[in-house]
Amino acid sequence: MAFRRRFLSIYRETLPILIIALGGGLFAGLVLEGMLESVERFPGLLVMVPVFLATRGNVYGALGGRISSGLHQGLINPKFERNERLISAVIASFINGIGISIVIGLISWGALNLLGRDSAMLTELVGIMLIAGVLTSFVMIGGLLLLIFTGYKLGYDPDNLVGPIVTTLGDIFGMAFLFLSVAVIEVIL
Amino acid sequence: MVAPGGSLGSWETKTIVTNMFPLLVVLCVIVLWAGITLEDAEELLEQYGLLAVMVPTMVDMGGNLGAILSSRLSTRFHLGTTKIDLRDRVLWADIAAVLGLAATIFTALALGAWAIGQVIDASLALTTLLLISLSSGMAVAVIAVIFSLLATYGSYKLGVDPDDTTIPIVTNVVDVCGMIIFIGISSLVLGF
Repeated sequence: MAFRRRFLSIYRETLPILIIALGGGLFAGLVLEGMLESVERFPGLLVMVPVFLATRGNVYGALGGRISSGLHQGLINPKFERNERLISAVIASFINGIGISIVIGLISWGALNLLGRDSAMLTELVGIMLIAGVLTSFVMIGGLLLLIFTGYKLGYDPDNLVGPIVTTLGDIFGMAFLFLSVAVIEVIL
Repeated sequence: MVAPGGSLGSWETKTIVTNMFPLLVVLCVIVLWAGITLEDAEELLEQYGLLAVMVPTMVDMGGNLGAILSSRLSTRFHLGTTKIDLRDRVLWADIAAVLGLAATIFTALALGAWAIGQVIDASLALTTLLLISLSSGMAVAVIAVIFSLLATYGSYKLGVDPDDTTIPIVTNVVDVCGMIIFIGISSLVLGF
């Protein structure tokens, strides 16, 4: 039964990873639930949440895919070293990750005003995104490289690791730093 | 994103940023729709906090399932399968596995949310959570399957590597569908 064998092989291979992603998602959900109180203080905060989380996946998923292809092709080594390619890719991810966070603040504010809805000040929304974006970048890039390198050295195909690692780390740290960032902006602005 | 020589054509910071940033902005605008849906549901979430707990998983899991299927499909295309044949049993095994995973994960999501509800004093009945989680989850899974098939097939027709643009767009569109379906079904079930 080729059908049954293929079904079971995909199911068994993927389920553990998805269960870990579910754990990360539930943690992020608890943080989101805790953040609902701040929504009245910063209208528009909820608009930014899905965009911020999805962007973590887009930016660092691309970095992970690049690193994993680079490892397969022998262009980079599985360790933190002064490799020109590795450094270029990491810097590009910082620029993309932090730059797009600012864009999220801008377009969310723009969309809310365009639709004639209640919105926090532009500086508040952009400030929240900037702090959360910077903090998440460091943890995501460091954590992703560490896990891919370790997995690769242990014999796992990095291609299969990237997606779930990015989703899980992105959910957990994305929401945690967003929560922290809202608290910081509440205090300083 | 279609850099000369594919996504590995260049490892220069400037090239990576100029290739990727415009796509990232487009993806943000797509997902903004999910954000506005979430903002609209603020009162629903405040009354039923457990729904907020389920939001990140509902939004991410559709994209995850789509990515699993897309990467299988694109590998098979790389290996020489040139068209989608609906009598192909391997294809149906892949699709069945994705739906099986969805059924398992969305059952687990309902159980997880229910257990959290016992602790944070925001409980909903387990049957209600199962109904919301499984019906929206399976709907999203079916959408993820259809989009992945169309997108992987479409990008091969157009000669674009699906890893570069198609998969990100599919996962983000499926994320938006996940949010809209989840909020829609939750309001319906809870009579909000």
